[in-house]
Amino acid sequence: MSKVIKILGTGCPKCKQMTALVEEVVNENNIDAQVVKVEDIMDIMTYNVLTTPVLVIDENITVKGRVPGKQEILELIK
Amino acid sequence: MQPAVEICPGTTLGKVREGALIVDVRRPEEVAEVTFDVPNYLHIPISELEDRINEIPRDKEIVMVCLSGERSLRTTYYLMNAGYQNVYNMRDGIIKWAAKGFPIKGNAEALAQYASCDCSKPNCC
Repeated sequence: MSKVIKILGTGCPKCKQMTALVEEVVNENNIDAQVVKVEDIMDIMTYNVLTTPVLVIDENITVKGRVPGKQEILELIK
Repeated sequence: MQPAVEICPGTTLGKVREGALIVDVRRPEEVAEVTFDVPNYLHIPISELEDRINEIPRDKEIVMVCLSGERSLRTTYYLMNAGYQNVYNMRDGIIKWAAKGFPIKGNAEALAQYASCDCSKPNCC
């Protein structure tokens, strides 16, 4: 089943960096996943997070407040 | 979820004079440069808020503040999610507060570097 990967962030550079890295990892590894950017603050706060960016995989918060490397992203997604 | 109530620096000052507490969530080094010169003030960096939320009283009006109002908006929702009833976010942060000539301590010129903040600083968000 296709994974749903959400990047929560209000558009700051780190949020954009995380989005780009996640898309690279998904494309390079032919992962069946939908990458969704969540930029609305009320939508972000339904996850009750204080620091961004946040990586959410199938509704599980996996990374908060930092940009993980591609290898870490790959391990989290797989 | 209800939208957070956002107020301007002028309304914030009025609330502070009536006993509201300002909670500043900026990093310590930001506060060391310039900060709010008000009696009802609490500094809890956003990175410590989860652990220190119990320091924020539930029986007072609370105004969350930061540099530009973005980080404090997240913390406003965080407090709302924790059941706080009278919590507000101050729009535009200490940048606007200082520009209005409201009381500050420290070097106001330090804020000039952020006047056109594009959020590109490593720890800004």
